[in-house]
Formats: sequence, structure tokens, C-alpha cells
Amino acid sequence: MSLTQPSEQARRRDYRVPLGILLFVVALAAPFIGSRYVVHSLIIALVFMLPAHGLNLLVGYTGLLSLAQAAFFGIGAYAAGLLAVAYGTPFYVNAVFAGLVAGAVALPLGVPALRLRSTSFVMCTLGFVIIGQAISKNWISLTRGDMGLSGIPKPYFELGPLSFSISGTTGFYYLALAIGVLATLAVWAVVRSPAGRNMVAIRENETLAESLGVPTWHYKLIVFMLSAVFAGVGGSLYAHYLTVVSPLTFQMYYSTTMLIIVLGGGAGMISGTIFGSLLFVGLTEALRITPELRMIAYGLCLLVLVFWFKRGFAPVINRVWNAIGGAK
Amino acid sequence: MTNHLPLLDIRNLSKSYGAVKAVNDVSMHIDRGEIAGLIGPNGSGKSTFFDCSTGLARPDSGIVVLDGQDITGWSLNRIAREGRMLRSFQKTVTFRALDVEENLIIAGQMFAFPSILSTFGVGKRSRQRISGLRERAHELIRMAGLWDVRHQPAGNLSGGQQKLIQFASMLMPEPKLILLDEPMAGINPKIIERVVETILYANKSLGVSFLVIEHNIDVVTSICRRVIVLDQGTKLVEGLPQDIIQDQRVREAYLGG
Repeated sequence: MSLTQPSEQARRRDYRVPLGILLFVVALAAPFIGSRYVVHSLIIALVFMLPAHGLNLLVGYTGLLSLAQAAFFGIGAYAAGLLAVAYGTPFYVNAVFAGLVAGAVALPLGVPALRLRSTSFVMCTLGFVIIGQAISKNWISLTRGDMGLSGIPKPYFELGPLSFSISGTTGFYYLALAIGVLATLAVWAVVRSPAGRNMVAIRENETLAESLGVPTWHYKLIVFMLSAVFAGVGGSLYAHYLTVVSPLTFQMYYSTTMLIIVLGGGAGMISGTIFGSLLFVGLTEALRITPELRMIAYGLCLLVLVFWFKRGFAPVINRVWNAIGGAK
Repeated sequence: MTNHLPLLDIRNLSKSYGAVKAVNDVSMHIDRGEIAGLIGPNGSGKSTFFDCSTGLARPDSGIVVLDGQDITGWSLNRIAREGRMLRSFQKTVTFRALDVEENLIIAGQMFAFPSILSTFGVGKRSRQRISGLRERAHELIRMAGLWDVRHQPAGNLSGGQQKLIQFASMLMPEPKLILLDEPMAGINPKIIERVVETILYANKSLGVSFLVIEHNIDVVTSICRRVIVLDQGTKLVEGLPQDIIQDQRVREAYLGG
């Protein structure tokens, strides 16, 4: 063992650290390299990366296919928007509030839903999105119905004596990037923790996990709530970026987009979700200029995925990454 | 005082599926340090009896007492975690995508961490607990003869090797009692020897008691001190293995007489 490792390293050089730094620099310099539209696309990709990260914990690691993510995204968007409009609270308060509200709503929804098996669970989560939209349309005194909630202020910060508001696209990009990095680190921590191992055990064989003392029901509920928290925080970013929230935030298209990010990127891999958000959201946003081509490109992407990358793009990324790292 | 009580005491257990009485008023006990055998023809209710005793299924009536505590109605995971009574499944199951070492670490996790919340920790304390589990896993992997394949995904290994993984996994939490559902089914004689050795080692050195469902009569007579026979959901007879194989009622049950 110890004899072979150094020789492997000596064979090829490890370029992962310089490449990592390069990617980080590109991410930081993006607003100065790309056009405004590219930066806008990146922001949308980062906004959607949050619910996708949460969904990856649920689908990729725990093995529960859910379509409810857009519901929690919408709840987060409304929670942040309503709080900001009513009290003018700073952004971080709204974001935390949005995450907590989404997580809290997930508890009573998860308790009955998680008792259902596979397809019934999927159908049930689909219902949450539809119910969310119906409520946001009809609870007019709170949500202003179809008119939506407008005039949500741009993110405003209050750090001790310093207070400022982020107005430009560049500023918002850095905010989204910072939250995206934090969320990625949070997912990484969950996945690396012993709980992450239990989640994978549930995905691999729930009865076996149960027979080895893992309280699978509790874990599924916790992960369901955790995924909702990620979606809620993503929703708060969405609300503050667009400054408008309408019942259309609760749409199946968003849930499927989040699912495509996770499955297409590579379920159960953090790098897959990051790559998936950039590819599927960034690409569709960037292609908005040519509406006809847009859906065709999106469709082609899905076809390529289904036929050649059944496990998503992440295994390919990992192979390239390891090759850069000097492995065969 | 409590040491005179049986480790597992099951009284008047019944379970029906529709009109079929799968288990009908069965009582039995397992003493501390004992290896008991449970035999009977196919469909005699052995597996249902296991399921009802370990929380996978809920018995219609009857009580299950483990180490002086009534555990009737507890869930499978709670009986494993708090009762330290573990079970295997007839069909060999492992976490196929995970390597052997990870399989064993998962088996020990819920016993090394005090609460669900604490399993979300990634700090030093959590890492220490995991490295403790890894050491124990290494010991058991060596004992099971799986050292060379410890980094292989469990799904890539042979049925017999997976049986050994399953078995080693159940030893991770320092169990009091293990219920084995046909541990020798479908594995080659070499692995059978290995499994027998491991059972005897766990029994003598680790103080684990066993209840074993097994069709291989040679194995039953060599490791069990007491055998219980089920037939059509009821207890037919129990006694020493050599007496059981001579028993006329048992022969009739097996031959369908």
C-alpha cells in the first residue's frame, strides 16, 4: 500500500489545487469577465442551487424522490418578501426566517407524507406545490393573490455601525455566491457526518438500516425538513432578487428543474448539483435570448443525459477531477 | 437475581395473516449464553415468529420480554438499539454500494452516538467516535476473514462473503442476543465452517446468545444445545438436538405425514 502511493503521485502531477484556485478566481471575477446577462444567468443558477442542494440530500443521499421542493421555495420567497415589506428587516433576518418557516411547514407535511411508499409519496409531494399555489392565490389578505407581492426591497444589511443595501447585479452576484458557498459547505458537513452515512444506509436498504438500530423514520423527517430549509433560503434570495413574488413561484416547472439539476448533475454528489445548476439553469437562462432554440437545447441536453449519462454528469466530472489529480 | 430469568421470554405469541394463523400461541425462552435452534418445515411460521419477536411485524397477541423488559410493540430499530437484540434476514442483505468497512461502521453508529442529533456532528468528538468504530470494525473484519476485500463494495462480493459482512455487522454493537434466519442457506461448505466458527467465537468470547433458524441439520446438532420445532404455527416439541432428530412427530412433520 504505502509503496505504491508515492510512485503514483510521482507519475503525474496534481493540478487540482491550482485548478481549484483558478475556478475560484473565475467565480470571483465573473462580473468583470461576463456580460450583465451572463451574470444574471449565474445568479439564477446560484439561486436554484440552494433548493437543489436540499433536494440532493433527500433524493441523492436518502433516496426519497420529492417534487415538493418548489412549494418550500415559494414559501421561503413569500416569507422573506412579507417580512421585508412589513418590517424592512435586514436580508439575513429574512433569509433565516424564510428557511425556518419552510422547515417548520415541512414538519406537518412530512409526518403524513413520509408514511407513504415510493410513488404515493411522489404524488403527495406534487400535491404540496399545487396546494401552495392555491393558497397563495386565494389568501388575498396576506399574499395579495394573483397580483403578487411587489416592492420587496433589495437586500439590506446592518452590520454594527455599517449599513448598506445591495442594488446592482454585481453586488447581488457576490451575495448569491457567498450564500451558495455556505450552503455547499453545509451540505458537505451533513454528508460527511455520521448522519450522512445513515442517510445513505436508508437509501441502500431501509429495512437493513432499521434492523441495525437506525431510526429511519426520524432521519427521513429531519432530512425532509432540512431540504425545505435550503429551499426556503433559496426562495428568500429569489424574492429579493426579483423584488416580486407571485403565485407562479409555486410551479411544477421549478420542482422539475430542481429535480433535473440533481439527477442530471449526478444524484448523491455535491459536485453534481453545482454543475447541474450551472448547466441546466444557467444554460436555459442564457438561451432566453433565442426562445425557439432554448427549449430545443434544453431538450437535447436531457436526451444526451438519458442516453449517455444515466447516472448524471458527476461521475464524469469526478473522473476528470481525479485525472487532473494525477490518478489514472 | 435477574440472571436466573431467561434473556428472552416470549409468551403466547400469535399472528395471523388473513385466515392463516402463521404463528399460533407459541411460547419459548432463550437463556443467557445459549445457542438455541429453531427448526420446522417450510411455512411452519419460523420467519413470522422472528418478525414478531424483533419488531418487524406486530404480533396479534402475546408478549415479548427481553432482559426483564417488556418490548412488545417496539419498532425494529428500537429493539436493536435499546434492546441490543439483532436479527439477520433470510435473503442476504448488505449496503451493496458501500464498502465492507462502511457497512460495519453504519452498524455501530447508533450505538456509539447518544442521540440522533449528535450524529450530525462533524467535530472532534464525532470523529473520535467514528475512529473507535473503525478499529472495532477492523477487528471483526479480520475475524470474518474479509481483510483483503475491506475496501470493496459489498455488492461485488460473493453471497457467502456478504453473509459474513451481515454477521460481522451484527456484532458491531456488542449485542446480547442475535436471531439468525437461515445463516447457512445457499453458501458453500467452506464459508459454512467460517460462519460456524464465528458464531461459536461470538458466543464464547463475546457472550452473545443465539436463536438460529437453520435447515442444515448437521450445523444445528453441532452448535445448538436445545432445539425448538415449529409446525403449522405451533410449537411441536423442544429438547436436545439428538432427541429431536429421533422424534417421531418431527419426522412426520417434515415428511408431511
